[in-house]
Amino acid sequence: MKRFLQHHELARDSRFIRQNAITDVMAQLPDDVDTVVNAFENLDPMIAAGVKGGPLEPIYEAYGPGFGLSILNEPLRPDEEFAELRLRVRMHGIFMGELQALEGAGRTLWDFPDAPWEFKMNMARQCWDESRHVQIFEKLLTHAGGAVGDFPENTFLFEAACADDPVLRVAGVNRALEGLACDVFRDMINYAEKKGDEVMKQAVDYVLADELTHVRFGSEWVREFTKDDPERFEAAKKFQRQVDKRFSVGGTRSSRTDAVIPIAVEDRKEAGFTEQEISELATISAEGPSRATLRKAAEILRERHLARRAQARRDENAA
Amino acid sequence: MSGRRYPGMSPDERTFFTPYSAFDIPQDLREFGGRYDVEAMARRVRNFRYAEEWAMMMVGGWIATIPEVPVKTGLGKIAWECAQAADALGKRLPELRAGRNLNVASESANEGFAQFMQAVAAPEEPEETIEKLVGLFGVLKPHLLDAYEDNGLHTDQITDAPTIELLEDVARRTRRHIAWGKEVLEHLCDTDAKRERARKHEAALRAKLSACGGVTGERG
Repeated sequence: MKRFLQHHELARDSRFIRQNAITDVMAQLPDDVDTVVNAFENLDPMIAAGVKGGPLEPIYEAYGPGFGLSILNEPLRPDEEFAELRLRVRMHGIFMGELQALEGAGRTLWDFPDAPWEFKMNMARQCWDESRHVQIFEKLLTHAGGAVGDFPENTFLFEAACADDPVLRVAGVNRALEGLACDVFRDMINYAEKKGDEVMKQAVDYVLADELTHVRFGSEWVREFTKDDPERFEAAKKFQRQVDKRFSVGGTRSSRTDAVIPIAVEDRKEAGFTEQEISELATISAEGPSRATLRKAAEILRERHLARRAQARRDENAA
Repeated sequence: MSGRRYPGMSPDERTFFTPYSAFDIPQDLREFGGRYDVEAMARRVRNFRYAEEWAMMMVGGWIATIPEVPVKTGLGKIAWECAQAADALGKRLPELRAGRNLNVASESANEGFAQFMQAVAAPEEPEETIEKLVGLFGVLKPHLLDAYEDNGLHTDQITDAPTIELLEDVARRTRRHIAWGKEVLEHLCDTDAKRERARKHEAALRAKLSACGGVTGERG
């Protein structure tokens, strides 16, 4: 078996499709309505293909390619119209993330046979934890009325787990992405509490506990791998910042007042992030378009989409 | 009941407690006479650890290459249990006067066994789940289970009891891994062609394993 697998080589059954471009574009967008509209107009064919035959197709038909900027990109609140759909989309994203985290930890075992034994033990333990998380989120997805394969997968998590230096893997996955998981899971626990969903609350609470352990693995191994090597330490920090920025998805996860997913400061502290790191994350993640900008862009995209549909119907009738 | 509770200095100052051998209560039928001395057992433990460590690594590597989600998650747990087995075996080594550095604690019995392990790990395509599982659960793990049980029967039952207990625990989990793998394979091999694929791959690996003498290099 070869070493260093690429993200497009992740094996999947026939339920899955992949779409990487949207998160990538979101992470780079400025706070400007026209730029957001143009970017999503360009992505329209890919978005249309990705939702075809799935639960998002009617939403796409009604709202156009910008539905992800408004319908899905709002905080999880039980009493809102699209809350259930938002929850299923998020759970599916987490399911995919856990699957890739399992694959990433497993590949780290294979890719670095000469790594320190304790590091391999930690990665093997993470394999088991991530396996349970995959099972938990598959069940929670069913609990929420969804199913595996309902929404497209993006492989960003595994991309952070492909580096050829193990310190970058733990910096990217265990510190940046498992840190993000702390934010997302705390938000979901809050949602479950508001909704009175004890099943979801307890399941996610256990997963969050595991994530704190994984962040600690990351912190310990970044320290160990980079001791007496400031250059390697800087490379790890830089990579972590890049992943943090990419996964803030244009401020969606941030400490801004309009953030969809707030930074879980207390959980992060418990996981071992310093005040300075949390403050840096707040700065990195605050960049990107405001929700007001995204809503405005989504409105324009919807108007154009409906106009195109109306035109197509007229053309069809004329023909 | 009368008499001394604690012995005095002369023969008639013994206590009244009835004598028992250390092996009488409960009756202990174990006898001295294992096949392996300390050095030989340390070598075998290093061989077992090599197999468990590489099983852990190959299982980890395979997870991303297997399309079936329940197989991925099942292997995630097995990777951890192989790691725990390798860890426990490594911790036994200093007790057998065989060093403390766990990174060099694994040792293949010979080049042939190392090549056999690479042959088990070789399938990497998404279409090869059957070959992956056959190699691990149809050949390697049943062989390791035999070796652990055989080791338990032939090592010194009294002096080497820690190795016996350790391997009993590893064997218990290995039996569970084999049962799981067998069940998954029965599900995946749903045509004659697939069963034939599995049989051929198993036969090829068994030939390699037999040629090198197995995990300890001692079995023809």
